[in-house]
This record gives sequence, structure tokens and C-alpha cells, in this order.
Amino acid sequence: MTGRIPTTHAGSLPRPTALIDLNRRIATGETVSAAEHATLLASTVADVVREQCALGITIPDDGEFGKATTAAHDFGAWQSYIFDRVSGFAPAATVTDRALRQPAGFGFTLGRFRDRRDWTMFGDFYRDPSGAAFGGKVAVTRGGGIGGGQRPVCVGPVRYTGHAALQADIDNMHAAMRAAGTRHGFMCSIAPGSFARTEDAHYASDEEYVHAIAEALREEYRAIVEAGLILQLDDPGLPDSWDMANPEPPLDAYKRFSRVRIEAMNHALRGLPEERIRYHVCWGSWHGPHVTDIPLADIADLVLAVNAGEYSIEAGNVRHQHEWAVWKDARLPDGKRLVPGVVSHSTNVVEAPELVAERLVRYANVAGRDNIVASTDCGLGGRVHAQIAWAKLRSLVQGAEIASRQLWPAT
Amino acid sequence: MANPILTTHVGSLPRPQSVMDAFGKRADRAQLPGVLAAAIDEVIRRQRDLGIDIVNDGEYAKAMRRPIDYGAWASYVYERLSGYEVLDLADGGILSRSKDRADFATFYAEDMSVKEPVAARPRAMVCTGPVRYTGHAQVARDLAHLTGAPRGRTFVTAVSPASIEAMQPNRHYATQDDYGWAVANAMREEYEAIARSGCILQIDDPGLVVLWDWWFARDDAFDAYRRFAESRVEMLNHALANIPEAQIRYHLCWGSWHGPHSTDMPLARIVDVVLKIRAGTYSLEAGNVRHEHDWTVWRDTKLPAGKKLMPGVVSHSTNVVEHPELVAERLVQYANVVGRDNVIAGTDCGLGGRVHAQIAWAKLAALVEGARIATRRLDATA
Repeated sequence: MTGRIPTTHAGSLPRPTALIDLNRRIATGETVSAAEHATLLASTVADVVREQCALGITIPDDGEFGKATTAAHDFGAWQSYIFDRVSGFAPAATVTDRALRQPAGFGFTLGRFRDRRDWTMFGDFYRDPSGAAFGGKVAVTRGGGIGGGQRPVCVGPVRYTGHAALQADIDNMHAAMRAAGTRHGFMCSIAPGSFARTEDAHYASDEEYVHAIAEALREEYRAIVEAGLILQLDDPGLPDSWDMANPEPPLDAYKRFSRVRIEAMNHALRGLPEERIRYHVCWGSWHGPHVTDIPLADIADLVLAVNAGEYSIEAGNVRHQHEWAVWKDARLPDGKRLVPGVVSHSTNVVEAPELVAERLVRYANVAGRDNIVASTDCGLGGRVHAQIAWAKLRSLVQGAEIASRQLWPAT
Repeated sequence: MANPILTTHVGSLPRPQSVMDAFGKRADRAQLPGVLAAAIDEVIRRQRDLGIDIVNDGEYAKAMRRPIDYGAWASYVYERLSGYEVLDLADGGILSRSKDRADFATFYAEDMSVKEPVAARPRAMVCTGPVRYTGHAQVARDLAHLTGAPRGRTFVTAVSPASIEAMQPNRHYATQDDYGWAVANAMREEYEAIARSGCILQIDDPGLVVLWDWWFARDDAFDAYRRFAESRVEMLNHALANIPEAQIRYHLCWGSWHGPHSTDMPLARIVDVVLKIRAGTYSLEAGNVRHEHDWTVWRDTKLPAGKKLMPGVVSHSTNVVEHPELVAERLVQYANVVGRDNVIAGTDCGLGGRVHAQIAWAKLAALVEGARIATRRLDATA
């Protein structure tokens, strides 16, 4: 075999019980020593990087363990972590004069989470007492920083204040990589457009708010890249804000709205080398029908407008699996790589390695075998049980091996 | 232009609250016949309106008392067979021997315990006397519900002997084979009653493959499993001997619970045994991530002339509703390997009891739309 498809995933991995317990103690106001937290975080990150490498994941991460969760089922840590790392926000309950900052000049407004079109169409399902949309374990109203509750509201200038937490994540990752004997690693950070869906009572306009957030986040982006890690920008907001506009907006208006967010992000990425940046889009990881998901074909040009070297997209669930065909028309520019999800959080069934291989070969045939990295639809942590998450990663590695043998046949 | 790809499903549809109440609440029991008949009329109409070509009664007559229920397809038969009583199981039952459950023990304990009420039951219907079919009145009632529907486009599900054997231990017959033959002979009466009505008979047989995980699941046990599976096919064929092959749909699935299914017997290893079953249509899982790649089996194994495949192109295994384009892609893939006239669009397994009602119906709509896209695409390339 002369070549092989590299393997990675979308970031979140199941948190060890000890870490969840400790986070819960912190969230409930218990005094926990900084040293106790730091020690546990470092050792669990070392473990999770070693486990990924042992399994055959080429580009591991810290499992997002530095992004605190207080329960085994948690769909929101990828965004809630940032509220501990920026200033300018206050708990929603303390802010009386607040409004969801609406994008101006696009002719549509964004509703709240529960107003999504998918949620409206499938109201009985989403309100079902079994809580099936969130694995039967998480209340629909969940959100916000550690400890849950409502999401914070912007009440002042947004500044990045998370240097210490970020540096701890980077140090933990470096140490874990050294111990596992790998030079490869990635780290996730929220994209401005996904962050900017919070309520804002401070800035004069939506555009000003997005740019302020982007400038603040630039510090995180730069530090991750300068640490030699691949920066993964998590941006479900690009596709899934579409569903928050009810009724469905005109496509061109939605694309103009999205371009504002992408321009702010590209500005925040100025000077950072493209090949160190992975842009992750997904349509929201909750276990719902997703019938109102915007087709990738409609936004592929927006995705490609992001100054990144890799594009991470859903391809392993039944709403987006067929979108491999998009890349027949939307040509991937030279030197860029596609990172399709070939195993998914959307089902407990563990993908057969043969199916993973089939999916990868299909992508290799449209984008070129050297331009594919095998990944997951979205983070597995918090969305499926730990045993299933790791079994899916094993299938991913086995499937990539089968695909590699087919794509680089022995001569 | 060739015929459009026909649409159907595997049987169970979400029960209306009125039907669950009529079965579940003693006070409502007297209302059962009227409630059932009206609900079945309605569910047949709803399938037709949606564009489902081959319809059924939604299995409404197979008692379900709560919205999540994985077992009604089989449990219905225990009021139709004599020779059983409910007893404690000394060893925790066959599920306790499942390799999938052993390998994913904490998942099953932490995530599945609430959602799968039948999983860990310590008691079961146990065979303690001669097995006889006593369900003549019930099956006659089921068929009477369907008098308004065209027979050739209506199917009725019945549980296979192997699936009964899989879940109900034998403490009466001298050998497991004797037990298997007795169950097959008893069930033959139900199968023949359904066939006499002119409806399509669907045999539900997860037992054939699920028993691999429950009884064997070791590489060195494969030959023993094969011999067992072949003998069960012989028993089933005996029970189906008097029914025209074209009227029989054989449904094989690997169990519909939302687990990892890591030990599922690959179709490739038993497809030759499956093809020995007397049936005109084979209904197989193809819409979940453990069995989606099974379409490749049909590149190597020729589907015999005159037989049809009914791949599951939407599945109960995820809440996400299949994109119609994906449904079309799956159907075209099957059409390309077995011929378009030999493909019927189906579901992986029953949707009722396994996903929320709103999602079940959205999946059926996606199935219909996907079949239309596939038909157009196949017409264009013909």
C-alpha cells in the first residue's frame, strides 16, 4: 500500500465519569482546587489521545475535554465553553432589556431554537416525554455555560479572556501528543457565526456584533495554529441557522446573511496558513428528523469561501449521505481536502467497516484519493454512549484501511 | 416506459392512542372490535393516500399497549397457541447469552434499560405441553378487517417458527428439533388461513439470524449455526408447502432494538440458506449502517428468476428522516444488480413501536418520493 486515507473525527469524545463528576461539583458551587481540576484534565487528555492513537486515528484531539460538560449526554459543550472565555456577557435572567439581535437588511429574522421549522413540523416528536431527540436524557431547554440554564446575553464589549484555559488545553494536548508519540493533533474552536446567535443588548448592529466576536475569537484561533495544531472551526450555524428562519427565507437573502459571517471569520483568520485550518459544518447534532436541513448544494460555494484547507461535512447520516454527488459539480479547489463524516452520531448501530470503505471510495472518486480524510459527522461525545462512540471510531479506522487497499492497489 | 418501482413496508405502524387504550385498559376492552376496525380502515386509507402500493393493517390487531414496543410482531401469537405458560427463567433468558450485549454491557445497562422493556425480562412464555394452534377466530377477525382492500396488494404478517423458538424455551419436547417441528406444524394453520384469503403472507423471521448472536456467536460455531439455520428453513418450508411461492414474502431482519448490532451475522454468509426459503419476495435490511453494504452480496449471488428483493430503504434505526435522493440512490443500486422489475421499495423493519409516529410517517413519505425519483431515473437510462 503506497498511500492511505488519514483518519480523524469531529472533536467531541465521551468524557470520563471522573471528569463529568468534577465538572458537576464545580458547576454546583462546590470549592474545587484548581490543581485538582488541572491534574484530572491533564491525565484524562493524555489517556484519550493515547487511546485514539492506539486505535489508529491519525489526527487526534483532546476529545474537547477542556470544554466542560456536566452530564454524559450533552449536545452543547462545543459552544457553551466559550462563555467562560469571553467578557461582555451576563446571565440572561439578569438582563431585562434584551432581544435576539436580528440580522438587518436581509428580509428575514431568526427564531429561537424551539421555533425551528423542523421543530414546528414535528412538534409532537420533539415534545414527547421520552426526550428521544436528545437521547432520552437531556431536557430540550438546555443551553448556556457550565451548569446549564439559559444562554448568556451580550451586555458589553466582547473580549477574549480565556488565555489561561486555552493554554492549559494546548499544554495538555502537547504533553499527550509527546506521550503518544504523534506529531499530529487538532483542536476545536467555535466559529463567529455560530457564536453570534446569542442575544445581544450591546452592539449597534448584527454585523458589528459578528465582527466583534470574530476579533475576540481570533486570539484563540491564532494560539491554536501557533501551537502547531490543526484549528478546527465549528460552524453548525452556517447550515442550521437556515432552519431557524421561519418561514423559509429566500435562498439569496440567506446567503448574503451567511457571507457577512464568513467574511468576519476570514478576517479573523488573516495571516493564518490555510493548510492548518479545518472548517467543520454540520446541521445540528440532535436526534431529530432534520427534514428542513438546507441542501449542501445550496451552500457549497459558501463553504468553499472559507479560508481553510480542509472542509469537514456530514456524509454519514441519511439526510446528507447522498451529498457526495455535490462534489461532482462543486469542484474542490487544488490543494484542499474534504473530511466527510463516514460514521455518525445519528444512530446507535455501529457502521460496518465495509460501508465506511464504500463511502470513502465514493468520495475519493469525486475528489481524488489524496484529498480525503475519514472523519465523523459530528462529535460523538455527548451524543452516543461511550462504548458505541469508540466502536464507531474502530469501524472508521477499519473502513479507511479497506478503502486504502482499494484506492492504492498493490502493483 | 417500464413499471414504476412499487412501495410497501414491513408491517408495524404507530398505533393510535385509542387502539392502545382498547388493548391496555380493561374498561375500554369492550370497545376493541369497533375501535380496531375503524382504525384499520383509517390506516389503510392513509397508506394509500401517501402512495404506498402494498398496504396492511399496520399490525394494529397485534396488541401494543404503549408507544415504544419492539415485541408485538411476535407476542401476538401467544394468545393463539396452546402449550405455553409464563415461568421464571433460571438463567436470565437467551438475551443473557448475547455477545453484542456482553461486548456493550454498559451501553445496554445505561442507555437501553428504559427504552427496551422486553430486553431483560426474567420471565418468559415457556413451552410445557403440546403446541397447538388455537387462533382461528383471531386470524379470521384480522382478515375480515381487510375485506375492503385489493388482496394482491395487501399483506398480512405472521411470526416464523424459528422466531417463536428463539424466544420461548422448550421444556416439553424431547429435542429442540421436535419442538421446532411442532411449532411449524401449529403455525402452518395461521399461514394457510392468511393465504386462503388471497392476501400476501409475510413471514417475520428475525429468529433465523438473531439466534446466531443469542446461541452461537463464536467463529468455531458457524457450522453448527448453519446446520441449525438449514433445518429451520426446512421446517418453515414444510409449513408453507401448500401456499403458492409468489404469495409469500419472507422478512429477515437482525432485530429492531437500537443497539450496536456488532455481532450481526453477515448476509453474505447465509444468503444461500435464505434463498432456499419458499418465497417470491425477500424483505431484507438495507437502510441501516450495519447492512447498507449488503447490496454487494447480490453482485456475487444471483437472485433466482421470478423472485423479488424488497430492500429496506428507510430505517427505524435513526430518527433522521431519509432524504428522498438517498432512497432513490439505494433503489437504483439494487435495480442495477438484480433488475428494476425485481425491486420493491420497503423498510428495514416495522416502524411502529420503534420510532415516533410523526417520524414513521415522514419516513414512509420519503420512501414513496424516493421510489418515484428512482423510477424516473431508471426510465431515463433504460
